[in-house]
Amino acid sequence: MNAHPQFAETLALYAMGALDNPQDLAALESHLGTCGDCRRELEALRADTALLALSVTGPQPPARSRDRLLSAVAAEPRMERRTSKPYAVGRLRPRWFTFAPVMVMLLLAVFSILLWRDLRNTRRALRHTQAQMEQIQTELARTNSELAEAKMVHDLLHASDAWPLTLVSKKTPPQPQMKMIYSRQKGSLFLLASNTPALPENKIYELWLLPADGSAPMAAGWFKPDGKGNGMIFHKLKSNGIEAKGFAVTVEPSGGSQTPTMPIVMEPAG
Amino acid sequence: MQSNRLQNSYSYESERMRVSGTQAPNHKDDAALIARIRAGDQSAMADLYDRYAGVVYGVALRVLASTAAAEDVVQEVFLQLWRNPQAFNADRGRLAPWLAVIARNRAIDFLRKRPPEEDIDEMPISTGVNLEDEASQKLVVDKIRGVLGELPQDQRKALEMAFFEGMTHSEIAGKTGDPLGTVKTRIRTGLLALRKVLA
Repeated sequence: MNAHPQFAETLALYAMGALDNPQDLAALESHLGTCGDCRRELEALRADTALLALSVTGPQPPARSRDRLLSAVAAEPRMERRTSKPYAVGRLRPRWFTFAPVMVMLLLAVFSILLWRDLRNTRRALRHTQAQMEQIQTELARTNSELAEAKMVHDLLHASDAWPLTLVSKKTPPQPQMKMIYSRQKGSLFLLASNTPALPENKIYELWLLPADGSAPMAAGWFKPDGKGNGMIFHKLKSNGIEAKGFAVTVEPSGGSQTPTMPIVMEPAG
Repeated sequence: MQSNRLQNSYSYESERMRVSGTQAPNHKDDAALIARIRAGDQSAMADLYDRYAGVVYGVALRVLASTAAAEDVVQEVFLQLWRNPQAFNADRGRLAPWLAVIARNRAIDFLRKRPPEEDIDEMPISTGVNLEDEASQKLVVDKIRGVLGELPQDQRKALEMAFFEGMTHSEIAGKTGDPLGTVKTRIRTGLLALRKVLA
């Protein structure tokens, strides 16, 4: 016997279920959890108690007891049972302890499901954010491209050696000409003039937008032609969406006017 | 009542000897019997009863001193084995000592009016005793009784109060007036005496 001597007597009591000191009981059960020698000694002591039990073997129960048992067995549905439990150290173990692992497993399963759902939602939000960022990056790239193109046009038009030319039939003498683009949605317009007659020092050419609703003409920018009769206007209206029925150019005092001064010197062809 | 019980425990000898038809179970028979029970063979329960009813009933009667209550213990122990034959592991012991301890525990539950356990314990009970035939079984039981008879009366009394009456060592000390340490020593010494003789 290699069991620890300090537990020898409590082991014997424990084997018979006769140990009732809670502290001794707790200390012994804790020790049994880690000591194989004492577990083996406990098993041997239980075998000793079995000898004690066998000492009273002998009397037979009445015959009705056999019939009663076999009737109960016949009436009892056969149930497949679980496999053997792991080593049990005593009979005082509370019943709830048997279900503790099951409860722990259930709690872990619920926690895992909640965690999985949270992770799934986070991944969805992340994918949505990534898609938004990709869209923003695409738009930014397109804007940058357009800006670069606009800058090239701007730089060309404002270059010190910019040479505006208007190609016409060889039989036609140079005529004053203004080419323009208007975008109602953007509320902006661009005008490029060439071969315009020279003006007195205090005069300019002013462009007017003639609204389709018949309201008063709107000033749309002005320019003073250079020595070769060229000029340019880029103008942003106060609001977008104004539908125009036409445009007109008049000669106004420097700084522009609130209302056009007749006559109209240029207007859309046709 | 205590003295009556102690006396009764030795009056079973003559009754046991009158029992006829007692089987001579061996280790292989136990394993085969349990295998049949696991397979749902109801006739195996009849064989089990025929072999071991005396063991279970004897212990229950010793503890409860009531034939009706002892019959109830027999029913419960065998039915629980029918419901859960996996509780007994034939590789780690034999049916007779295992059933004897299970019967004792159930009888103590009855005695203390504790609600019966839903399941039987799966504690391994392995003895070195030879129970393979009727002669060996009788020899073993006689040896055990002989050892018990040779024990000092106080030691034997402490053993029986703990085992057959389900008393704790504090209750035994309170009833006998002996110190707790003395009761502990008597119980352990008594159990070891049984093992020493039968080893």
